[in-house]
Amino acid sequence: MDRRGRFAPLGAGLASAASSIIAILVGLAVGFAILLATNPAQAVRGLGVIAMGGFNGGMKGIGQVLYYATPLILTGLSVGFCFKTGLFNIGAPGQMIVGAFAGIWVGTNASFVPPPLLWAAALLAAALAGTLWGAIPGLFKAMLNVHEVIACIMCNYIGMYGVNYLIKNSNVYDPLKNQTIDMTRAAIPKAGLDNIFFSLKGRFHDASSVNAGIFIALILAIAMHVVLNRTVFGYELKACGLNRFASRYAGIREKRGVMLSLAIAGGLSGIAGGLMFLAPAGGLHITVVETLLAQGFNGIPVALLGLSNPIGIIFSALFVAYIDQGGYYLQRLEYMPQIIDVIIAVIIYFSAFALLMRQAIDALRSRLNRRADKRARGAGEEPV
Amino acid sequence: MKKLLSILLAAMLAAALTPVMAFASSQTYELALVTDLGTIDDRSFNQGSWEGLVQYAQEHGVTHKYYQPKEQSDDAYLDSIQLAVEAGATLVVTPGYLFETPVFIAQDMYPDVKFVLIDGYPHSADYLEYRTESNTVGIQYAEEQSGFLAGYAVVKDGFTKLGFMGGMAVPAVIRFGYGFVQGAEYAAKEMGVDGLTINYNYTGVFAATPEAQALAATWFNDGVEVIFGCGGKLGNSAMAAAEASQDKWVVGVDVDQSGESERVITSAAKALRELVYQSIDAAYKDEFPGGQSLLVGADRGGVELPMESSRFKTFSQEDYDAIYAKLVSGEITLKTDADTDNPEDLSSEYIIVTAVK
Amino acid sequence: MNNAPDNFIIEMLGITKDFPGVRANDDITLRLRRGEIHALLGENGAGKSTLMSILFGLYRPDKGVILKNGRAVSISGPNAANALGIGMVHQHFKLVHNFTALENIVMGMEPTRLGLLRTDQARRQVLALSEKYGLRIDPDAKIEDSTVGAQQRVEILKMLYRENEILIFDEPTAVLTPGEIGDLTRIMRSLADEGKSILFITHKLNEIKQTAQRCTVLRKGRSVGTMIVKDTSVETMSELMVGRRVDFSIDKTPAKPSPSPMLRVERLTVKSGRQQKPLVRDVSFEVYGGEIVCVAGVDGNGQSELAYALAGLIPADAGRIYIAGKDVTRSPVRARNMLGLAHIPEDRQRYGLVLDYSVEENLALKSYFRSPFQRRGFLSFAVMRAHAERLMRGFDVRAAQGPATRARSLSGGNQQKAIIAREISELPNVLIAVQPTRGLDVGAAEYIHRRLLAARDEGKAILLVTLDLDEALAMSDRIFVIYEGAFAAEFDGVKADARELGLRMAGSGKRVD
Repeated sequence: MDRRGRFAPLGAGLASAASSIIAILVGLAVGFAILLATNPAQAVRGLGVIAMGGFNGGMKGIGQVLYYATPLILTGLSVGFCFKTGLFNIGAPGQMIVGAFAGIWVGTNASFVPPPLLWAAALLAAALAGTLWGAIPGLFKAMLNVHEVIACIMCNYIGMYGVNYLIKNSNVYDPLKNQTIDMTRAAIPKAGLDNIFFSLKGRFHDASSVNAGIFIALILAIAMHVVLNRTVFGYELKACGLNRFASRYAGIREKRGVMLSLAIAGGLSGIAGGLMFLAPAGGLHITVVETLLAQGFNGIPVALLGLSNPIGIIFSALFVAYIDQGGYYLQRLEYMPQIIDVIIAVIIYFSAFALLMRQAIDALRSRLNRRADKRARGAGEEPV
Repeated sequence: MKKLLSILLAAMLAAALTPVMAFASSQTYELALVTDLGTIDDRSFNQGSWEGLVQYAQEHGVTHKYYQPKEQSDDAYLDSIQLAVEAGATLVVTPGYLFETPVFIAQDMYPDVKFVLIDGYPHSADYLEYRTESNTVGIQYAEEQSGFLAGYAVVKDGFTKLGFMGGMAVPAVIRFGYGFVQGAEYAAKEMGVDGLTINYNYTGVFAATPEAQALAATWFNDGVEVIFGCGGKLGNSAMAAAEASQDKWVVGVDVDQSGESERVITSAAKALRELVYQSIDAAYKDEFPGGQSLLVGADRGGVELPMESSRFKTFSQEDYDAIYAKLVSGEITLKTDADTDNPEDLSSEYIIVTAVK
Repeated sequence: MNNAPDNFIIEMLGITKDFPGVRANDDITLRLRRGEIHALLGENGAGKSTLMSILFGLYRPDKGVILKNGRAVSISGPNAANALGIGMVHQHFKLVHNFTALENIVMGMEPTRLGLLRTDQARRQVLALSEKYGLRIDPDAKIEDSTVGAQQRVEILKMLYRENEILIFDEPTAVLTPGEIGDLTRIMRSLADEGKSILFITHKLNEIKQTAQRCTVLRKGRSVGTMIVKDTSVETMSELMVGRRVDFSIDKTPAKPSPSPMLRVERLTVKSGRQQKPLVRDVSFEVYGGEIVCVAGVDGNGQSELAYALAGLIPADAGRIYIAGKDVTRSPVRARNMLGLAHIPEDRQRYGLVLDYSVEENLALKSYFRSPFQRRGFLSFAVMRAHAERLMRGFDVRAAQGPATRARSLSGGNQQKAIIAREISELPNVLIAVQPTRGLDVGAAEYIHRRLLAARDEGKAILLVTLDLDEALAMSDRIFVIYEGAFAAEFDGVKADARELGLRMAGSGKRVD
């Protein structure tokens, strides 16, 4: 059969990447429509600023992209890992805040740990607390068949209010600012990144907030990739996600899989929380407010955009942070911050329709193939 | 066909990226404000300060813009200040004490830019160094005078059972509270009534909580008529409790809070708009009070009750002007946190202060 | 009006359809006469379903034209097919389970007045149709409470209610009992007599002989010819279909049972969660190594639950199960498998395969956790690939992209062969095979029967659960008839009489409980 003029099926990886890129372009197009609607005179320039993302801020801006991408990679992994096992982890905000508090508490109170290792001990505590917090909906799902979305949402609020209570009743509270105290001693080290990602403001070395957390996030993403694709454990978890009847038939302990999957997802979110809040004086603190962490929910579009693939999630988290940073710099133009929030959210959420787009690509490809066949017939070629 | 698709993709990418070229020359904005947590229309510090800035900018035809930090941290606040400066700001207004450290850094980073820090003085992150450079002015308010005006007004309006609910025993809250007690006492003395009571409590949080609301409800049940809710969103708890009845009132704090609830009788306010306006005006007239940490009271128009939106029955504008003049003239001196730690020390023959635990 | 020669109502000319890696239909021509029953015969994966899906508008052909009454038509979807009078009864019925028969029949074309349903008129219409063609239904019975045969009649009435004149039946007898098959044959004849034209997909040659006038045989996506059924022998048709001679008789040596039973079941009772009535009642039997024991019965008499309980997928409520002498009544699935239990499940897509895993991953579903498939928790894909290639060769599993093919894209027969390959290769002591040849063509079924017999002769204990009388008779050394959850009779596999067996399966004769 003559295959000239036909689209050979793209490699799976290439097709995924292509669909993600097309999704991003669609997102940008919709964002551009809003830019046009709100301020037509600067719309083109505005799109340019968004597309430039972190580059608007030079090396520091790039560093900021990495800084904001760090928790997103982890919550994206958290959500994506559960997607792979057929679960929807919408509990990342709760797992993050619980992990963050555990990290801060250990960072403050574990005086027996030598200071250079204190951050690691605190991060470990964050991971454990997150794991525990993720295991709770896992247990409910496995033992009582309570849908994980319900249990996760409950745990989000219990986590948030519980942590607010615990902060106020422990020695990590700064009452004046209504937030946790500075974590200078247990802050995540910069690992030299502040000497790469900075800009000079006169005599000032203005370093980005990025720290070793980005390495931890990248390492964990690769680790999750290996776990999912190379290990017996990953094989079992994916089987549970794809067909739990067949998994049971194969003798896989499905309930254990559900629990472990949510617990691991919780651990990843817990580390995300730890990396965010184990910050020096200038960085983030847990403020005692009744708001769930947006970074937790943003793990969902990150995972969708990355097609739940750990390596894909690295890129999609970087993309989300990049576009978000572009939106921040968009404030240089005549756009209100509220409108910018809308534009950025639209771009990100439209882009998250990557899966949908992928199907559209497949449909398009087969249609083009049909057309190519028709032309071939018209030219008198007889395909055999 | 494959070629066509790749050309198409390349064209789309190019279309997305071309505007980058056009971006090089950007507009500048001379006057800037960086928002504290919350939005520009928070009916609080952000909004009040922004209104002052906008008023000046419009009267004098100056470009202006506000910037919103990405998150609530010193680094992010500082980054937004940088964003403002890079966009051409020559004067940056930063409302709220959370800017103390970012402005402390920024004043050195940008010696040619002027900073107006509302409700705080610049200091280092570890509180070890307080320093206000010549390009910066830190403004704090004589909160006791603002509290005094509110206490005076509600007693003059006929209330005799009062409550003070503060966030935490930090200097600003203490000054508001002491001023409130002394204002009530001053009015009682003037009117010749005695036996005023005032419940006095620090809830420990600067947020609206169910506990605070329950406490306010208890006080109202016990006969308290008006509560001064002093500390961030704490007042909203008292308002919620007051809304359950028809004759209970709340005194707002910091800014005119009459819009928050129908039960807000008045607000012990700080004059944000005026001071921001004055500071910008001074900067353009080369009279910028750089290097100073100002404590502004009635003498500079820094404290006020929003009389137009207040819901008094009898307390009038004339009454207000009279007592305000006395504060301006210095005829009245007030005790503050520097004088005593115990609010009950403020009790007198006219007023009994009960510190509620 | 009708100028088409030979009075063809539908002509599919030169139909070609490609799927990634596979040409499912290759220049197929099929002509359907008005009022005839036309059988479409072919092995699994021969392209029968694809061709009918094209006619029903589910796929668009890549090449070729469809004529109705001599005019070219474009069928863009089931609604377009419906408008042309083409209806289809799918192998898996498309009915709403908690609706009544009547509601299912009128669904989508409900007669309304002022927006309100007017069912009385529809009811009269449906009952008239039911009368006319002998399609007995209870219009008010919920589908979930109806038998499979009744559900099929509802599907047929659905087509008739829509005044379809071309009726496609996709393997309609696969789910029916012998009695029901007779009914269906009669119904199809009366429909044809009334002028309806019927396309009848099957791979059961006897049914073609009984019902169809003409038959088109497909092999590997191409048409190998259309013949007059009464002039063609069953042997010829099967040869055309398979491409070689098929041996219908199975050579079976006498069983040499092992001294002790490999599978022993004592007074097993299984209840379902909701119902009080036990699905399996007090069943006891043994299976020795080297024999095939058959559990025969009409669908829905507890044989599925019996198999699932033995495999450990549903719990036993009472009784004991022993595998190789060990009590496994409370053991999890994995423990039973480790004792040498293999299971060819009834529902191959739900239980037997992870459809979105590749063939090689599926072939390792029972062994991935053992060395050499895993080392220190990591999977060895090289071992998995080699294992898959060996099994695919050994069991003739055909997949477009080899071991890396998604299981989902295999044809039904190849899916089944993959499962059987996996289960037999596990070297089991006990093999539970539930309807192992369901939906398979004669060639594949024959192949699977040979593999099962080979396994038996190697000394495996095989429990064969089947609905197919012929299969039960051909394969078994002993046969138990299951009726309403209990064993109603036991037959010697060699001496059993088909009529007697059929009667017992249908519940007549005396019960042995």
